[in-house]
Amino acid sequence: MDETRAKLDRRQVLECMVWAGAGVVWTLSGGVPTSRLIGEAKAEESGFSFVQISDSHVGFAKPANPDARATLKEAIAKVKALPQRPAFMLHTGDVAHLAKPQEFDDAHEIIGEAGLDVHYAPGEHDIVDPITKAAYLERFGRGATGGGWYAFDHMGVHFVSLNNVVDLGKNGLGSLGPEQLAWLENDLGGRSASTPIVLFAHIPLWMIAPDWGWGTQDGAQALSMLKRFGSATVLNGHIHQLMQKVEGNVTFHTARSTAFPQPAPGTAPGPGPKLVPAGELRKYLGVAEVAYAPKASPLAITDEALQA
Amino acid sequence: MRSAALLLLLASPAFAAGDPERGAQVYEGCQDCHSIDKNDVGPRHRGVFGRKAGSLADYDYSPALHGAGFVWDEATLDKWLTDPQAFLPGVRMFYHLGQAQDRADVIAFLRERAK
Repeated sequence: MDETRAKLDRRQVLECMVWAGAGVVWTLSGGVPTSRLIGEAKAEESGFSFVQISDSHVGFAKPANPDARATLKEAIAKVKALPQRPAFMLHTGDVAHLAKPQEFDDAHEIIGEAGLDVHYAPGEHDIVDPITKAAYLERFGRGATGGGWYAFDHMGVHFVSLNNVVDLGKNGLGSLGPEQLAWLENDLGGRSASTPIVLFAHIPLWMIAPDWGWGTQDGAQALSMLKRFGSATVLNGHIHQLMQKVEGNVTFHTARSTAFPQPAPGTAPGPGPKLVPAGELRKYLGVAEVAYAPKASPLAITDEALQA
Repeated sequence: MRSAALLLLLASPAFAAGDPERGAQVYEGCQDCHSIDKNDVGPRHRGVFGRKAGSLADYDYSPALHGAGFVWDEATLDKWLTDPQAFLPGVRMFYHLGQAQDRADVIAFLRERAK
């Protein structure tokens, strides 16, 4: 074992595995992640599962992906082909690239092909000003407050969609703001600590790479509200790659994009579309399926690339 | 003549020599928001070097950039790419390049390949 490898702890090795594009089933038991390759294991059949897709960037057409509509269609076909029909789908933002009505409409139509209920959280490409905010919320903000955040329940699990893409902070860090934090505190306040919580938002709520704007400046305030819950899962997008960590009772997970990959932090001059060799793009894109089993607190997250 | 040239040299800020070839690779990251020939999240880059900031008629600039008045050259682009929010508070761009060589390379790319 070389020196670099020896310095990696077990979790980092697992992160390397998912970054390399291997399909991995994550099962969380008592806060400890274990992973098995897809095909070797299935998530619990009981309970329910849902799918997360992210960063479809409909309208993006550059060398990193000349046709983001086509790869979104492939992702939706993947969702339709899942052996167990998911209860619903989450989209963690950047539905469109330029927040144009046509892009929103195309995305709505393509995603609608899955025939699933879809719950969205906005990305900074979706809401750039009051006009695009209104256009986004009209199509994707069902049940949302004027600020774009909302909550819903499914079979005893409480889901919260947050908007952290308005009033961005230094280097583009996400921001929730006092009004949304107060709403969240109130929303979570009356709930039993045994309620499983799933928080989803576009920009990671945990600080991944502040220099690249990959984190939320007041995210810690939201995360502190999760501490008393027995099981909490935080799902994000924005960074176009898989990352996962477990901290106490909270599991953090970022999804791949369905459009283009971005570099791992520190491996490029800055964030942004990453050009990969011709024919390999689909290995870096994908969807995530999350399974919830009522009696075994863990949520099992299965990430699948569009192409192995 | 020689001393005049030397004076000019001393008066000019020092910039790392840029490599447009490498700049093309760095520019991949800029394409989350920019294109050479089309307005995107940000304005198009064709002809940006030497252009007056905030001057494209068909792009909706933030008030901070609209009519800012300066010209995009090595010095202004370097400051902008180092920290756009510090250079012109209130602009929309957050992306920055922390390394001087990366900035020099992408500026060389814009100057030579996006004329």
